[in-house]
Amino acid sequence: MENAKDTFYVTLRNRLAALNPNRVITLRGVQRPGILAEEAEAVVAQMPADVFVLRWTALNADVQLPYALAQMMCEIHYTTGGTQANQGLDRGRALEEMDAELLAILTPNCAQKMNFTQTPSVAMGTKVFWNEPQFSPLTTQRERLTRIAKIAVLAFQEQGEL
Amino acid sequence: MADALLRAGGGTVVSLLVAPATGDSSDAGQLGIDAPNFQQLPLSPAIFRKVRVAMQEGQLAQYELLISASAVQQQVSALQLTSADALFDTSAGVEINGAQFLIESRSVSESLGQIYLYRLLLREAHALLQTAG
Repeated sequence: MENAKDTFYVTLRNRLAALNPNRVITLRGVQRPGILAEEAEAVVAQMPADVFVLRWTALNADVQLPYALAQMMCEIHYTTGGTQANQGLDRGRALEEMDAELLAILTPNCAQKMNFTQTPSVAMGTKVFWNEPQFSPLTTQRERLTRIAKIAVLAFQEQGEL
Repeated sequence: MADALLRAGGGTVVSLLVAPATGDSSDAGQLGIDAPNFQQLPLSPAIFRKVRVAMQEGQLAQYELLISASAVQQQVSALQLTSADALFDTSAGVEINGAQFLIESRSVSESLGQIYLYRLLLREAHALLQTAG
């Protein structure tokens, strides 16, 4: 399942870098596309703004098939306060831009599963695929607008895969 | 004066964990596969002690770390940062006697407009301690 999660993150990251190279974040001294896996970074008091944060939650497995089919729920959190140039009054537009970017990078809804524990990464035998996102209602906390998109990510557990 | 008081109070050396000078931009570095290789910046003198609070069920123990402002300033200068805030903002935690702690909050003590002490509120990190062999 870890390979599926890694593949999902790297796929979205690469698509975001191509779609909007200006959406970046500097983490641990490295500037990178503005998307991160929450569980692979240091804990923070508040989610960073204007980036996509992947949080893995539910897990279901269908073991009645030749290969177990794992379904993992990925919550993508994103929040914005707009831009300083507009004193934050463009926060609605900024969130809308992130909505559109997220929809764009989720298409197409599949990717070749990769094993990133090896260098270079190795293509595996099956694909990772995911459902359409379910967007939560917007939540407003003072000037910060936040939304969560839930995506069910599915992948077969290949033989010998952890 | 603050340094002398911290030393007299059992001053110790603690390490602030900050991102390495050369970051890991690989896929493995972003997926939690590679170790982050945080730099350990020594800060001394410092006093480490448990915070006395009435504990409740499920509440994590908290600790307090008092650090000399001169030690912090040395590291700020060495890393060519703009302020101590920048240093603490980029840090991932503190290592004390081999145990890692996360920074919950920080405050300063001033005298005549000069900061002489940093006070960090810490809690134990839950990361598993792995021993060699």
